[in-house]
Order: sequence, then structure tokens, then C-alpha cells
Amino acid sequence: MENNYDIIIIGGGATGAGVARDCSLRGIKALLLERSDISTGATGRNHGLLHSGARYAVTDPESAEECIRENMILRKIAAHCVEETDGLFISLPEDDLQYQATFVEACRKAGIRTEILDPEEAKRIEPSVNPTLTGAVRVPDGAVDPFQLTAANIIDAKAHGAEVRTYTKVIELIREQDRIVGVRTYDRRAHCEQTFYAQVVVNAGGIWGQGIAAKAGITVNMLPAKGALLIFGHRINNLVLNRCRKPTDADILVPGDTISLIGTTSSKIPYDQIDNMVITPEEVDILLREGEKLSPQLAYTRILRAYAGVRPLVASDDDPSGRKVSRGIVLLDHAQRDGMEGFITITGGKLMTYRLMAEWTTDLICKKLGLNVPCRTAELPLPGSTESKKEVERKIRHKPTTQRRSVISRHGDMADRIADQDSIKNSLVCECEEVSIGEVEYAMENLSVNNLVDLRRRTRIGMGTCQGELCACRAAGLMGKKDPICAKRAKADLASFLNERWKGMAPIAWGDTLRESEYTTWVYESVCGLTDETEKTTVQ
Amino acid sequence: MRFDTVIIGGGLAGMACGIRLAEAGKRCAIVSQGQSALHFSSGSFELLSRLPDGTTVGDPIAGIAELEKIAPDHPYATIGAARCERYAQEVPDLLRAAGIPVYGDCHRNHFRITPMGKTKAAWLTIDGYLTAEEAGCLPFNKVCIVNVEGFLDFYPEFIAEEFRKHGITCQFATINFPDLEQIRKNPSEMRSANIARVFDHEKNLEALAAKIRDVATGCDAVILPAIIGLTRDDSFEVLKSKVNVPLYLLPTLPPSIPGIKAQQALQRRFRLLGGEYFLGDSVLSAQCDTEYVQSVYTANHGDEPFEADQFVLATGSFFSKGLVASPDRIIEPVFDADTVYTPSRADWYTLHFFDKQNYQAFGYATDAHLRLKKGGEVLTNLYGAGAGLAGFYPVQEGCGAGVSLLTALYVADQILNRQ
Repeated sequence: MENNYDIIIIGGGATGAGVARDCSLRGIKALLLERSDISTGATGRNHGLLHSGARYAVTDPESAEECIRENMILRKIAAHCVEETDGLFISLPEDDLQYQATFVEACRKAGIRTEILDPEEAKRIEPSVNPTLTGAVRVPDGAVDPFQLTAANIIDAKAHGAEVRTYTKVIELIREQDRIVGVRTYDRRAHCEQTFYAQVVVNAGGIWGQGIAAKAGITVNMLPAKGALLIFGHRINNLVLNRCRKPTDADILVPGDTISLIGTTSSKIPYDQIDNMVITPEEVDILLREGEKLSPQLAYTRILRAYAGVRPLVASDDDPSGRKVSRGIVLLDHAQRDGMEGFITITGGKLMTYRLMAEWTTDLICKKLGLNVPCRTAELPLPGSTESKKEVERKIRHKPTTQRRSVISRHGDMADRIADQDSIKNSLVCECEEVSIGEVEYAMENLSVNNLVDLRRRTRIGMGTCQGELCACRAAGLMGKKDPICAKRAKADLASFLNERWKGMAPIAWGDTLRESEYTTWVYESVCGLTDETEKTTVQ
Repeated sequence: MRFDTVIIGGGLAGMACGIRLAEAGKRCAIVSQGQSALHFSSGSFELLSRLPDGTTVGDPIAGIAELEKIAPDHPYATIGAARCERYAQEVPDLLRAAGIPVYGDCHRNHFRITPMGKTKAAWLTIDGYLTAEEAGCLPFNKVCIVNVEGFLDFYPEFIAEEFRKHGITCQFATINFPDLEQIRKNPSEMRSANIARVFDHEKNLEALAAKIRDVATGCDAVILPAIIGLTRDDSFEVLKSKVNVPLYLLPTLPPSIPGIKAQQALQRRFRLLGGEYFLGDSVLSAQCDTEYVQSVYTANHGDEPFEADQFVLATGSFFSKGLVASPDRIIEPVFDADTVYTPSRADWYTLHFFDKQNYQAFGYATDAHLRLKKGGEVLTNLYGAGAGLAGFYPVQEGCGAGVSLLTALYVADQILNRQ
């Protein structure tokens, strides 16, 4: 029957994408619904840290063990999304060096490899580190690209029969007696309502999960915690830098490709503010002040943008005050918890444990569907990671040298799907991130790109030093070219991209950032005469 | 080195001031970093398009008279409406004498067409660029918009989408030649200046003309991106003579060919008048008494001072580093002169890109003669001109070029009238 699935997943973050992949690999017909684009929630708004688990070793051993296991799995199955950098936990004169022993012992218990370095050795392998450090411990931290990771899960899920609908908002959970049997949605581009049915509906909405559960009359108490981060214009550190003390604000500096990231702050916000992330001057100041303690270079490195995500922390079911936070992964079978069949909520957890969360969820789905199929996501590599970088290099030898590395880092073994037969396809749209016309066209045709911000998530276009100063316009031109009727939409889209970009730049708009912003204003508003057309057309 | 006047900054304001002073027989030096706002010019100059409240201005001079009443801190208000009109009348001749052919009337805005097909008010436009006397009133019914294959800084589809609103039929054509294929070999080279160099070759210009003749069949006009005539002045005229249909240029994204050409023309004119132009140099520091600038020092000339009776600061705003923003204040880096700004960073801007942003009106603190101040005291021989001045919103008010040109002429007059 049309519009009929085994399961419906609500939420296109890493968890939802992971569930879609796991289900599809186990032969379960899945539909994933996302109100915006994939990776738009907390998935795309964190450090991109491949946790070794060391950060949690002392305070939360269970999370630490989960992290190190998943860390090792992701290195295998998502090699193209992972950079194996290792990390340092450094002690500064103001820190208690005694803590180091406690830390190392806790890591050992959790199964996390550690190596104690003397300060000179630490400075040698990580020249950017604060030179006043008194001690350092090396752990298997790394960097992971959450956009690529989620995209690879989506690509594989689709390849195994899943259906993915972005810009589709769930407006109602359809209920028959004590059972959820489907959802009613609103397609934000076609502007129409639709109905989909399934035996099980999975709520993987992250922080938005509270609102989704509420549609079934079910209470899931989220405690939204905003975390702000800053992205720096070039890569400062080779290894992840952490403080060797109890986790606190702004104590992780993560390198990622050509940039570095400092984060995060942590502040409780009211639930009605989760869609309104404003970064305050105070948060920027904290991040810089604390970040400089990890690496003094931050003081004179250009900041590209500021952004914030909301951690989906869940109040413990056993605490009536709703203040006690559940640690780790929270999988709620609402049949057991609330007497509502056909409805599951998966939340809590971390980007690091998205695969494990998907496995638990799919196991529960299998139980409900009466299936007995084992999970294979810990062994099967994701698309992009099925061949080694060397093999991919060989396949795309004919591409301009400068583009090879960036294309492989973005698409792994799928790099050879990008057209490059002539110089036009190889012409660069974005110079900072080496994105060619061929790559933009590939993304538009194959990776469900609906607008410039989606395109940025798939190709990194506009993520470099210039933050999309001219490439946004070029990409808008290419999108408008696909279909003459799209020209109006492409212009509105460009205006909305500039607004989105400015939100990240305004909190740090001094120095070169203000210079670039002034230039952008001149080029787009004055030379091009672009006006704010976003409100009239919004998402189409 | 000793001069009558040293001008710091070689953009539109610095050049216009230098030319005016040199015309009056003054011995002038201009110290210029190189690129200025002219490198992203639209091919038109704006005098005043809107009042601070957003009201559209049809007659810029009447608008300036209004500004005098409602925006006393605006540089136009400092100069005064009567003098603004006099300078505005003089500007076209100054530009034409430099070899920049412009047309326009300071009492009546016309309209230019942007690289996205939008219509914007303009005061003066360089010959060859498409304009309209009334918004939406274009000189053709059916037009062919031509672009170079793979050139991403020009938007035929966007332009057509706007034109169609006015009932104009649009068709597209793309051009590709072997010489363009050469520059395409480097994936980042398909930019306006490189393409323009290709068309400065006679054989490519001829091939372009042939292509235009071919695609123009049945059209009233042909539109080209501004990629014609970088190293020679006659390319566009030659091209027009070889086709039998009206040709119009539209600006592209930077670098701007008309802007680069204008910059070169002004430089030539200044040198021809005996001015000394120090290109690729920048002023690093200054020697000042309490009220008086003695000399300035530059990067290329080390401890050899540039001495002068008068100094003009025309270093532009943030983009050209004439103003520098730190997290908590706005600095004028050469003289550490006083600046006008709001102290809390949260007040510098809103979170909406297209809003009028307060930081755009930050700039040097000046007196009625546009002399700068330091520690609250007027520096009696240091004048400010151009985008670094405070009190105006160049983009929202559509007055950037006008403020640069008019304040430059006003400052030149202040200097000439001192003796």
C-alpha cells in the first residue's frame, strides 16, 4: 500500500540517519522525515570531536566505555569522516597535577589507552600547546565530520531502500486507541499535507523530541543546555587539546581539516528558546579567555564564526522534580512507559554514540516487528569508506591536484562520481574550500540539496575563510541556472544564506570579520542590489 | 621629501582631492596601498538615493537640503547643500578630464542595472553601461544576454527574471574560444580581469563580434558582462562598430573592469598634473605636535619622512583598514585620531544582514572644516575625506561615491583657501 512503511523515523540528525541505515540493512522498510535539512540540529552544531571517552572517564565511566568502543568502530566504518589525530589532556599550573593519576586510572578501567608525556615532549608533538603546561596525557581522541557522517548514513539507507524526506514537518501523530499508527506531515516546499503509516514511529528529534512526544500526549522532559563554539580561520593544533580536570566550559580545542574549534559554554535555556540561538558577547569572551589557556595562539588567530547547539539532555524518569539529568543514552519504549504502542523515543547520548543508539533502537523495533536479524552496522563500512584513500587517489588522478585532497576528504570513495571531464566542470566555485562546478552539480543532483545552506553542509562551500563572500553568489547562479523558474527562488535563497551567515559572524564582528562584512554588504546590497527577499518566499 | 600636501589613500576621495589640488598648482603626493573600493565599482556613482528614513530621493540636491535639516552629522550637512551642488556640478568635468566618460545629472537620479538585474538609483554612469531614465523602462523589448561559458560572476538567469517582470523577452547565449580554454586550465582563473585580457586581442574581439552578430538575430539589443577593454580603451567602441545591434554592458562581481579602468585613469590624470603617486606603499605612523601634523612615515620609505603643510586622510573605512575595529573600540590606525562610535559592541549591529548597521556610520571625528581631532583637540592641518568619515550610511543611503567625491573637493577648497 502506498505511504505505508514498517517504520517512520522523525528527525534527520546522526541518530535518525543511523536508525534509517540500521533498519534498511536489516530489511525493514523505513521512511525518515526531517522538518529542515539533515544535520541541522545538535548533529551539525558541536565540536566534531571523535571522543576517546577520556573526558568522561572520571565522572561517567559508562559513557567513557561506550565512547571508546564507538571510537574504534567509527575509525573502521567511517574512515573518510574521521581524522586520527589523538588528543592531549594537559595540566596547567593552576590545575591539580594529582588529578592526572586519577584520570589515567579511570581511563585504564574504561579501556582507553593513555600515555603520560612530560611537558617538553608534549610541546614537541603539539607546538601550539600552552608552554606553561605541567603535564600531559595522550589519548586516542580524533576529529569527525558530522555532516559527512550523517550524509553517508543517509546515502546507505537510501541505497538499501529507505526513503528520506527533508523539509517535511510532522504536524500530528495519528493515534488509534492506544497505538500510534502513522503521522500527518506538512511538506514545506510543495506546501501540502500528507499522511504516512507505519507499525512503529521512532522519535529521534533530539531536543525537539519533547515537542514530538507531546503530540502523542506523552511527557518527555528535556533540559535544554546551550553550548556555544567558535571556529578559527586556520588550523592551530594537530592534536585535540583538553584540560586534565573535571569537564567545564571552553576546555576542548579540536582541529578539523583546515580549521580549529573551541567550545563549549554551557547554559540552561528555556525550552521555548531552542529555535532561537543567540550568542552573547559574554559567551564569546569566555570561549576566548579559556581557549587561550589551551593554546595562547587563539589570541591572535582570526575567528570565522560563532555558533551554538542545544544538547538533548533528558530529565530522569525517577526524579519528580525533573532536574536530575539522565546520563548517556535514553531509549524509551512508550508501550512500557506510557501504555502507548508503536512509539519509541531515542534521545540523550552523543554524536559519538549515534551508531549504538541506532542499534539499540533497531533492536527494539525488531522485537516489536517480531524479527530476528542481527545488527551489522559495526562491521559494514559506510559509503565513502569502502576503499582506502590511496585507491581513491588512483581513481581520480586526472582531477586537478589541488582538488583531489578536498574532494576525497568530503566524499571518500564517492569522489569519482563527480564530473570532471572538462575544464568547465573543474572550474572553482569556492576557492577557499576548492569546490568545483562538477561537485556542486553532483551535490544538487544526488545529495538532496534544496538551497545554499544545504549545499554548504554537503560540500563545505562557503565554510572557508571568506565565509561564502563570492562563492555563495556563484553557487546561487548555478542553482538558478538549473531551471529558469528557479531564478527568483535562488535570489531569495542567496539573501537567506547571507542572513544565516551573518548570524554566525555578528557575535565576533570586529577586525577582519567586520572588514569582510562591510565588503559583503557593498558587493551584495550595493553592486548587486540584493534585498531581503527571505520573508516573502521563506522555504519553498 | 617635502610636498605642499600629502594625501594618504588613493581611492576615489584621495584621487579627486589630489587632482583638484594639482590642478591648482599644488605639489602633491598620494600614498596608496593599491586596491580601493573602485575595484568593486558598479560602473556608476551615487550621490544620494535615499534619506536616512528610507524615503526615495529623485533629486539628490533637494535631498541634501533635506539632510541638512534632519541629519546634521552627515558629511553633506557639514559641507552644506549649496556647496554640495557646486561640487556635484564640477565632478563630471573632473572625471571626463581624466578620461572617464560619464553622463548624469545631480538634480535627477537615473537608474543602473545590477549584475542580478535589479534597478538602483545612480547619479553618474560610465558610457556603455545599461541605464534607464525610469525604473523598469528599458530601451528594448527583446534582448539577448551573452555570457562567457563557465564565468560565474555574472547572472543571465537572474537578470532575465527581473527583465521579464517588465514584459521583456530574453534569450541567452554563451561564448567559448580557444584562448578562454587556456585560462580555464587553472580552475580559479575564470574571473573578469583575466577574461577581459583575452578580449583585448583583436582576433578574439573579432570572434566575439561575429558571435554577437550571430546570436542577435531578431533581438533589439545585446547585453554583455563588463569583461571588455581592460588594457585598451577602444575595445568596446571597436566591438560596437562591428555589430549591427545596440550593445550594453552590465557590471559583474569583483574585480570590476570599469572600476579598475577608472582607477587607472585618475592615476594618469594626477601624474600628468605633476602629482607624485606612491603605489603599493602605506603610511605607518605620524609625527605630530599637539595641534599639528609634521610628517608621516611609510612602509617603503622607512625613516625618510614625508613632510607637508597639509595632510589629507582618505584611507577609507574598515575594508581598506582606514578604520580598525577591536572588540571594544574603533581605531584610526595612522594618527590614532578620535573616532565616533557606540561603546557597546552589541549596539554595532543587529542580527539581520540587510538591516541598516550602526557600524557603517562610524568614522573619524571632525570639525566643520572636516579637520580631524586627537584627544579632543583639532589637528589644524589634517583633513578627512571619503568613506572614513562618520555620520552616513553609504549603502542604505546610496551616497558612498558622492560623499567621497564631494568631501574630497571640499577638503581641497579648505586647503586652497587657507593661504
